[in-house]
Amino acid sequence: MARGGGNRSRLLLVILLVTALFFITLDLRGVSLTKGSRSVTQTILSPVQRTFSTIFSPVGRFFGDVKNFGKTNAELKQALATNKLLKSQLAEKSDTKGQLAQLKAVLDLAGRGNYKVAAARVIARGSASSFSQTITIDAGSSSGIRSDMTVISQNGLVGVVKSTTSSTSIVLLLSDPSFKVGVRIARSQSVGVLSGLGSTEYSLVLLDPSGTIKTGDILLTNGSEGNRPFVPGVPVGVVVGVDNSAASLTQTATVNSYANLNDLGIVSVILSAPTSAPSRPLLPTPNPTVTVYVTPAPVPVLSPTPSASPTKKK
Amino acid sequence: MSPVRIIYTLSFFFTLFVVQESAVSLIHFPISGFSLYLAIAISLIAFEDHNGALVTGFLAGMVLDLSPSSNAPFGQWALILTSIAFLFAINRDSIADVTASPVTFVIVVAGGVTLALVSYLGFGALLGEQNGSLGHDATVLGGNLLWTIIFTPMFLPTLGRAHEYSLTARER
Repeated sequence: MARGGGNRSRLLLVILLVTALFFITLDLRGVSLTKGSRSVTQTILSPVQRTFSTIFSPVGRFFGDVKNFGKTNAELKQALATNKLLKSQLAEKSDTKGQLAQLKAVLDLAGRGNYKVAAARVIARGSASSFSQTITIDAGSSSGIRSDMTVISQNGLVGVVKSTTSSTSIVLLLSDPSFKVGVRIARSQSVGVLSGLGSTEYSLVLLDPSGTIKTGDILLTNGSEGNRPFVPGVPVGVVVGVDNSAASLTQTATVNSYANLNDLGIVSVILSAPTSAPSRPLLPTPNPTVTVYVTPAPVPVLSPTPSASPTKKK
Repeated sequence: MSPVRIIYTLSFFFTLFVVQESAVSLIHFPISGFSLYLAIAISLIAFEDHNGALVTGFLAGMVLDLSPSSNAPFGQWALILTSIAFLFAINRDSIADVTASPVTFVIVVAGGVTLALVSYLGFGALLGEQNGSLGHDATVLGGNLLWTIIFTPMFLPTLGRAHEYSLTARER
């Protein structure tokens, strides 16, 4: 190994490392200077992110779809048919329609829970340089959004607002490893804590040692004091596997979330909500099947022809 | 490194950071994601001499610390990238000039990016940050390694020429 330069180089290295450690210490002690710098960065980034979001939204999934090469012929035919359908939908401004559908669905969920919400579009995702899972939305403090507010999609809980600027907010996703939410099982009302694992699965730990979890159990948010960060009654997910290990004091389970965090277009931030849980669970409803009732029309009575119509006698 | 070059480097890293946060992060990569910022930062560190590498690493880290989506304390990336720059600087002579062979250079850059992310995880763990399961972290590291190997050769010639152009006559 070669020598690492002279005294000046060593001095420079020490100065830079000490400066970095100084900033870390300041941040960990809660000095607002560092938080402020990130807030300023977000303010600068948000218009650029908005522009790039518009430009990149049609091609953003290109690399993700590369892995779908090599599918079977039948799937290819099906994909071609779907593609044809999608093209026709695209002609009808499918993007706008899709966002409108998501918006309607999410507002429907909010309406059923009597939540006052602010709808927002997802304009960016968390950086690959960090391991945290976040999204950036195009609504901020000017829309009434504050940190620690619940964020929902059409299917249920998405995350919680981490920080805001006047026009954008950063949302910590449910899947982030640091994310924890108090939940209750709809069937038994047992209370537990759901944690993100950084993937599409979640871990549930029951607080009640005598409580039981069953596969298929539905989880709802338990709510927080003052409805922040979590409002009660928001659907979170469904239990897909139960860990029956005798070594653990309480039961644990694996959960799948209702909200698809990879496909978020429109979300809503709950600005205010009733303090109690909604009277009935706000479970995602399947798309309604259109039923058409046909009532046979009455048999038409033959009317006289105009020529046979009675004429006024003069 | 002259004050003018420090300003240029800082401006370049901030522009790159905006591109990373606004555009690259929007692309859905099949396996995890790709950090163009880290790949270019490590490449520039490898191009620089001893002191230049340290300053470049520190500046790159400081800009990356501005990321609003980061859970890490401000200064963590600066510490990590300065340390990695130091590793590059002291090993520069012993592993020969990495810039002479593009293949070696790509491997060194990919290794540097992976080392930076592993250090970030390790340092984060020491500070009590939660960075997910081992499987998830391995996927992120593997994905970044793969995409760095694939994409680095694409920007390497341009970056090399741009770096050469930015040097003063004395630095050349």
